[in-house]
Amino acid sequence: MSQVATIAWVKLRMGVHAVASVRNESRLKVAVISISAIGLWLFVFGVFFEGFGWLARFGGTAGDFALTIGDVIMARMLSVLTLAVFFMLIFSNVLVAFSTLYRSREVAYLVQSPMSYRTLFVARFAECIVFSSWALAYLGSPMILAYGLVNGAGPAFYVASAAFYPPFVLLPAATGSLLTLVLARIFPRLRPKTLALLAAVVLGLFFVYVRIKLSADRLSEENFLPVLLDASAQTQSPFLPSFWTSRGILAAATGNLGECLFQFLLLLSNALMATWMAIEVASRLFYPGWSFLQGQDRKRLRPLGKGILGRLDSLLHRLPNPTRVLVIKDIKLFWRDPTQWSQFVIFFGIMAVYIANLRNARMYTENDFWRNWVACLNIGACTLILATLTSRFVFPLVSLEGRRFWVLGLAPISFRRIVWQKFWLSVATTSTFTVGLVVLSGIMLKLNSIYFILSVYSVCITNFGLAGLAVGLGTLYPNFHEENPARIVSGMGGTLNFVLSVAYVAVVVGAQTLVLNWRVLGLFQNPAAFWWALGGVLVLVTVVSGLGMIVPMRLGLRNLNNMEF
Amino acid sequence: MIRTENLTKHFGPKVAVNSLDLEVHEGEFFCFLGPNGAGKTTTIRMLTGLIKPTQGRAFIRGFDIQQSPLEAKALIGYIPDAPFLYEKLTGREFMRFVAGLYRMPEDHLAAKCEELLELFEIREVGDQLVEDYSHGMRQKLSFASCFLHDPKVAVVDEPWVGLDPKNIRFVKDFLKEKTRNGTTVFMSTHSLSIIENVAERIGIIHRGRLLHVGTLDAIKALSQSPGSLEDVFLELTKGEDA
Repeated sequence: MSQVATIAWVKLRMGVHAVASVRNESRLKVAVISISAIGLWLFVFGVFFEGFGWLARFGGTAGDFALTIGDVIMARMLSVLTLAVFFMLIFSNVLVAFSTLYRSREVAYLVQSPMSYRTLFVARFAECIVFSSWALAYLGSPMILAYGLVNGAGPAFYVASAAFYPPFVLLPAATGSLLTLVLARIFPRLRPKTLALLAAVVLGLFFVYVRIKLSADRLSEENFLPVLLDASAQTQSPFLPSFWTSRGILAAATGNLGECLFQFLLLLSNALMATWMAIEVASRLFYPGWSFLQGQDRKRLRPLGKGILGRLDSLLHRLPNPTRVLVIKDIKLFWRDPTQWSQFVIFFGIMAVYIANLRNARMYTENDFWRNWVACLNIGACTLILATLTSRFVFPLVSLEGRRFWVLGLAPISFRRIVWQKFWLSVATTSTFTVGLVVLSGIMLKLNSIYFILSVYSVCITNFGLAGLAVGLGTLYPNFHEENPARIVSGMGGTLNFVLSVAYVAVVVGAQTLVLNWRVLGLFQNPAAFWWALGGVLVLVTVVSGLGMIVPMRLGLRNLNNMEF
Repeated sequence: MIRTENLTKHFGPKVAVNSLDLEVHEGEFFCFLGPNGAGKTTTIRMLTGLIKPTQGRAFIRGFDIQQSPLEAKALIGYIPDAPFLYEKLTGREFMRFVAGLYRMPEDHLAAKCEELLELFEIREVGDQLVEDYSHGMRQKLSFASCFLHDPKVAVVDEPWVGLDPKNIRFVKDFLKEKTRNGTTVFMSTHSLSIIENVAERIGIIHRGRLLHVGTLDAIKALSQSPGSLEDVFLELTKGEDA
């Protein structure tokens, strides 16, 4: 057996053991996650099927095209999506390749083995591809199926889609790995300030581009189609692999197999070329880069009393111990982990984009119907952002104690205190951002008092419910073997927490939306009936939030108390 | 100071520790010896409250570790074989963290931290992140933090990994000194030469059962042909790996 085949066999066995270990998981957890996974796939399929179906019903033709407007928009949408996915794949491959090639402990073992760096890279590269591209197969397949069904495509379309998939994921994987190999030689030599400046410039340019190209003002003008075609014109460049993919698949849908084959071979040859280049570069750059990173001078000083983190002790002096040291420890661990705060910064970006685009929604606040919908959607957006925050950052808090739990397990403090400390820390931090967000968005949307109060109340109460869910389920289903918070979140417990968080938000927002809509539609016989219904909904929301907080916290604590370390 | 009654732990069908009855006195240096998988670490984890016994009880100065965990834990200091610490804290921050967990008064805290960091020769790297520490430095930090709250009972699990000969000597002397001041030391180790140097009494555990407890001389006398502790140990445990 070759060395690559041996490593592939080991990975396969590890995969088999991981699947087999599902038998040890709670049946409820497995059932909820399996149903959720199928449900999400069906939901994505439904959205694309309805969306493509709606576009297909567009009448008329677009200018000189022999196609309907719907066909043109659909084709452009496919191109835009393919391009976006292509760049996301490159980005995720850069991240995955860095952790797989340079951070993984497995690499140290492989480097000392009698294996060429070329072989080592090929083995790790295969893992990168699997890690970075499985989600595309899962979420891309319902889109392709929906497109095929709406357009009545023949079997050639589905065969072509499956055939395009391997080279389409291979090319960004090779490109991402190439970038990582080069960056790993350059970045460690740069000063932190230079890196921060570079990141700020890239982010700034990105926001300027988004502002210019994807402005809702432009898309809401009457000349919608030309604006859309103009905005998506860059996706039609014949130099883009995403264009070869979308064009090839669309050609297969219309039975133009010659065009499809040409685009496929174009994509395949480029993917193979990029892979060969990545292997060649790896054989020269991997080891010097890895060795340099291992041999860096690590004297990162963090003196007490210097900087904000160093002064936390005095800033939080009113908190009694051991709560104070637990809070300080959690804050420091969070801010000193780049994988944590870098993703937190992305959340800020999303919130900023959301706030910046709210002014475009003001045109919909002229009449009651739209005002009501915008207000309800705003509550939905704020609570969903909160659900994402708690799912990503709060859920892993207990798991991140990991193999260090002995420190807490030995201390003369109860687990109850530790778990509730994490709950209150979560409420304190997430409510700062989300209450601010809902107040700011309410002011920008000029919501009247009833909507404003409801929005703020919903976000406040869901802070407690979602924190309880995340901390409780994080304690009920901890993963003490994983150090990477992103992987903890993507596990079964994390998925269950996210699904339940979204379901909880749906109940909170859905109940309010229902009552407010009935009022706008005049379905209440008198104002008193509306107020009674609204009061009932608020009681329901409060009770559901209370249950969402208490039940998982109790179950989690019971689990932790029965746990052995 | 440490007392166990019928202490038993099952992992599924496997009996890791079987009806352990043991008493370790105040200020005693007690060494726990046994082959791999004999039940040493499981015993230590039950003594420190990290796992629950299937049967039986463990007492620290009269406090049942399961019934009165907070009182018992306040008296214990534990040094694990693999010191998993908070990587993103500095050594000094970790000391402050442990002090906070034990609710130590703030008055002389800084001075006490510095004294222990100095004693274990990690004061100079006290402001560096633990993730940049070598294994030996982590072990020293583990020791320093363990003795921050002046534990009455020190439970030490194979502490020599990563320590150089100079530090091994220092730790041996340090623990010995602690017992003179009344601290009870319960140490599990495979280093027979160290046991011969420091142990006042030795307990030999094999396949979950406590085979013998006694002084070094008493244990050596158990052998048909008295020799070194190594010979006796191998004979008693039927040649299993230490």
